Amino acid sequence: MATATMTVQSLKPYFPWITLVILVSVVGLLNPAFLKPNSLIVLIADIVPLFIMALGMTFAIYIGGIDLSVQQIANFVTVIATVFLLQFGIFVAVLCIITGFVIGAISGWITTKQYVPSFVATLAMGFIALSLARFLSGERALSMNAEARDATFGWIFERTVGVPNELIIAATLLLLVWFLQNHTTFGRALKAVGAGELAAVASGLNVDRIKILAFALSGTMAAVAGLMFSAKLSGGDANLANGFLILAIVAVLVGGTPLTGGVGGMMNTLAGTLIVVVIRSAMIYLEINAIMQQMVFGVILIVAIALTIDRSKIRIVK
Amino acid sequence: MAITEASGGIISSLKLSRRNTLIKWAPLLVLVVLIAFFSLIEPRFFSVRNFARIFTAASPSLMVAVGVTFIIIMGSIDLSMEGTISVCAVSFAFCFMALGGTLASWAWLSLPFALVIGAIMGALNGLIHVKLKIPSFMASLAMGFVGTGLAMVMTGGDRIRIEDEFFRGLLTERILNFPLMVYVAVLFLLVAWVIQSYTILGRNFYAVGGGEELAIASGVDVDRVRIMGFMLAGIFFSVGALLAVGRIGIAETATGNNFMFLSITAVVVGGTALWGGIGGVWNTLVGVLVVFVIGNGMVVIGLPGYTQDGVLGLLVIIAVILSTDRKSISFVK
Amino acid sequence: MYQLTKVNKKFPGVHALKNVDFFIGRGEIVGLVGENGAGKSTLMKIIYGAHQPDTGTIEIDGKTIRFQNSRQAMDYGIGMLFQEQSLITNLTVMENIFLGFELQFSNFGVINWKSMAKAAQYQLKKVNLNIDPSTVTSRLSFAQRQLVELAKVLTLEERIDGDLVILLDEPTSVLAQEEVQLLFELVRQLTNRVSFIFVSHRLDEVLELSDRIYVMKDGEVVDTVKGDKADIDDIQRKMVGRDIDKEYYREYRQKSYDQSKKLVSFNAVSVAEQFYDISFDLRAGEVVSFVGTEGSGREAILRTVFGLNNPTGGQFLVKDSPYSTGTVREAVQRGIGYVPRERKVEGIVNGMNVYENMTLSQLSSYSNKGILRVGEEKRLAENWVEKLSIKTPSVEKDCGGLSGGNQQKVVLAKWRSGGSDVILLDHPTRGLDIGAKEDVYEMVRDMCEDGAGIILVADTLEEAIGLSHTIYVLKDGRFQKCFDGSTGDKPSLYDLVHYMI
Repeated sequence: MATATMTVQSLKPYFPWITLVILVSVVGLLNPAFLKPNSLIVLIADIVPLFIMALGMTFAIYIGGIDLSVQQIANFVTVIATVFLLQFGIFVAVLCIITGFVIGAISGWITTKQYVPSFVATLAMGFIALSLARFLSGERALSMNAEARDATFGWIFERTVGVPNELIIAATLLLLVWFLQNHTTFGRALKAVGAGELAAVASGLNVDRIKILAFALSGTMAAVAGLMFSAKLSGGDANLANGFLILAIVAVLVGGTPLTGGVGGMMNTLAGTLIVVVIRSAMIYLEINAIMQQMVFGVILIVAIALTIDRSKIRIVK
Repeated sequence: MAITEASGGIISSLKLSRRNTLIKWAPLLVLVVLIAFFSLIEPRFFSVRNFARIFTAASPSLMVAVGVTFIIIMGSIDLSMEGTISVCAVSFAFCFMALGGTLASWAWLSLPFALVIGAIMGALNGLIHVKLKIPSFMASLAMGFVGTGLAMVMTGGDRIRIEDEFFRGLLTERILNFPLMVYVAVLFLLVAWVIQSYTILGRNFYAVGGGEELAIASGVDVDRVRIMGFMLAGIFFSVGALLAVGRIGIAETATGNNFMFLSITAVVVGGTALWGGIGGVWNTLVGVLVVFVIGNGMVVIGLPGYTQDGVLGLLVIIAVILSTDRKSISFVK
Repeated sequence: MYQLTKVNKKFPGVHALKNVDFFIGRGEIVGLVGENGAGKSTLMKIIYGAHQPDTGTIEIDGKTIRFQNSRQAMDYGIGMLFQEQSLITNLTVMENIFLGFELQFSNFGVINWKSMAKAAQYQLKKVNLNIDPSTVTSRLSFAQRQLVELAKVLTLEERIDGDLVILLDEPTSVLAQEEVQLLFELVRQLTNRVSFIFVSHRLDEVLELSDRIYVMKDGEVVDTVKGDKADIDDIQRKMVGRDIDKEYYREYRQKSYDQSKKLVSFNAVSVAEQFYDISFDLRAGEVVSFVGTEGSGREAILRTVFGLNNPTGGQFLVKDSPYSTGTVREAVQRGIGYVPRERKVEGIVNGMNVYENMTLSQLSSYSNKGILRVGEEKRLAENWVEKLSIKTPSVEKDCGGLSGGNQQKVVLAKWRSGGSDVILLDHPTRGLDIGAKEDVYEMVRDMCEDGAGIILVADTLEEAIGLSHTIYVLKDGRFQKCFDGSTGDKPSLYDLVHYMI
């Protein structure tokens, strides 16, 4: 019995990957076409913006918070990118990233310095971003100037030695945040804050700054996601990224970073995002109506939280 | 030490009560100031016609906000309202059309039916939160997604028009210039007040919010209180859904849109603390009015509608900050 | 009428109650005294049903019973007046009194406030408290709240036929002198129906009120004395009486400290509502300990040194200069290390491995421009694992999975490896087994030899005496007495207790 639980315990970090392999094999058996490398690549490339957003969300959840503003930040950024593309060219990307960083940092500041729970702070900041997006877009769906778009962002959708550049960008970002998480003092501090905030404080870490930075990074990644989405669809509008929030949360949690933080991380979110992709494509293949998606993911979300959350960390569940 | 500590205690409890008094009256003050402000800038704002407009628009949200007030008093939160409202609205509409399509037939049964659906959704929400020990904000957020998805599946994305004149009477029939639905909302507000102030369940919400462990030690079945709370909230969401359908005459997946942030903002702005234990349905009435006066006032003085979201975002942050006793908490996540 | 026979209770690593016999008769007031950790609170928890004994029996009027929880104990007429405020402050007085028992005043769930108010009035009369039962509790003074709590417990009188037992846990700690007298009078009046168990640190009060007094030590009842024959000195001796084992505390390794090198100095420092006018110096190689009861200000002094409290008066220097920002971060940078009582919450990060925990306070020393040198971290950790013989399969093992003693060593290694030379020990041996305790004592001596200074809030008085060069006794946030703890000249337990209470 003891050894059985031991092995289950030691396998736990791999659960998301095992789940992924099982899902892929099942779907592959049902529909061999699914496993064709080319279709797989297209499928994955399609989900890059979501993946990037989920990577950002991982920062917020890893420290035990949550960021409900990512979808609205992405929305806002699609509008910024579209409106200012002609004016700034490639530098519009810088503008977008700064926007995401600033909004995230404000959320983090409100949470840490003003003691507003992160779900409220980020929800509120999200609505402020939405308001700005609607203001900037004049409440219309905008399209990018096609020439400028192709000149500035066209390369994203090309391929390098057969691999879509989108995937290369995603992989680069993943590598970057993975490095940040595992090989920097900031990453170590993030883990300490997520796993034991009081001990982190008692070790003299600047916990507030770390938390603010985590939210800022979440916002930044949401902005990158919005930018790529905008470039992809060649336009911007205050509702363009709607539907991303739940998928991003699902991707992080299914990947094995629990709502209580401290364990999991970026690679887990990769597994989680891939699981989301496979489930989505399986639903399409099984002809489950696309409109059922949200319901299905809602249920998956509940199951994922229930399985991963560390209840010993919450004294009273409120 | 004994003496100094005791007197220190008295001072801090006096401070606390002064703080509570402030929290109690500040929202009302804000409301009055807002009304005065908008009336000064635009005299048309201060008219029965405009107030009727504000109240009509606010009625569904008031019901939703009252529902979530109970939950927030417990120190939890319910973010499932958009899904619950959509499901209730759509279920009501299907049932209503199937039973004859007019209140003058058996279709009136679809009203209590919708409330039952709301109760079930709420209870489910509470069960997931309590039995699976998932924090309520996440459990209810997920349930909200499920609800919206379910409504989508039920309608296939279609809208259902309700053109029955008796049901639309909620909007079209007016007593003293105010449509019937305003009176319905007031009636349910009174019901909520009775629940809050005169029932064991209502008082237990405050006990749970004020000190959950102490309540357990006194023998209160806190799990049951929580689940009942979410169920009650579901019923009020359903009333909100019915009023929303009555106002627009359409039931669809989008019926629930925007209720979440609006109602949470209203509750918090009204002075019900997110930490639980303080506030109540009258606070929520004031909060809802603040939110809708701002929304309406900004339109009346010529500001575009999208500014409202941003202003609400700021409001909710400020309200939470003001209601937080910084000394009593070490950190939040 | 209420009797415990041969009750035993064990917790992991602690034998909390050893064959305890306890009896309380009808209308009796029984005192219960003992040092912290003597087993008083475990005994109380067993009496009111929050814990269940491992072996032994509980009898009421000769019938053996077993409570599953405190609600069941209530049904047998056993009530508890909690030390900490157990009223919900946002509810009214009457709601608090009848919380969990509202059903008697309701029809179909709707409460009849008038009848509840009337019933509450009746309860409040019992405790001579003349307030409107619909007052919100947060508006009451602490003394009034204490009485409301008593009124709440006394609802048992109506609910239960037969005798009642009410436990009073430090009921006087927030009361002024006159209020204490009022409470005592009330307790005496109520003995026609109720028996009381009175637990307090204030021996004079226990003596004044109790008919009989149980003295506990190390989980055992060491004596029972009649109230009228009791003598404070005698009881104090029984509470602590035991010889100090010099070997155990490594006294032979206690060296004299370096008078010239002041690490921390307090000059009439006060922190409002915590402690007042405290002056002391900590020198290199010295162990200074603060003793006193819970709430005497000893922890607050540690917290102040660690930058968690900021002084409201006096001068506080660390190595001859004051803090500029007064934050934990600054304290850590200035070489102060804190070994907290809540080891698992503030000491180690559960979920991080050994080397990650050790370098947490000194990440900048193990990184270049923010990039970690993990190899060096591991080498450091391996080094200290060997030095302190920390039992762990590897430095990559999750600290949460280590035993308490090894966790404590990791915490100490964290500070020592980073060069901290002022170590604050807050109950460093709490919950450790004997071997692990000895390891901690060895480390204390090692650190002194290395020239570090230690401020200790010990788990027991013996520990304080055994380890320290200097001992300060605190009471109610003020200095009472300073003892020299040089080897061969150590004060006795009794000397200390005398000034503590």
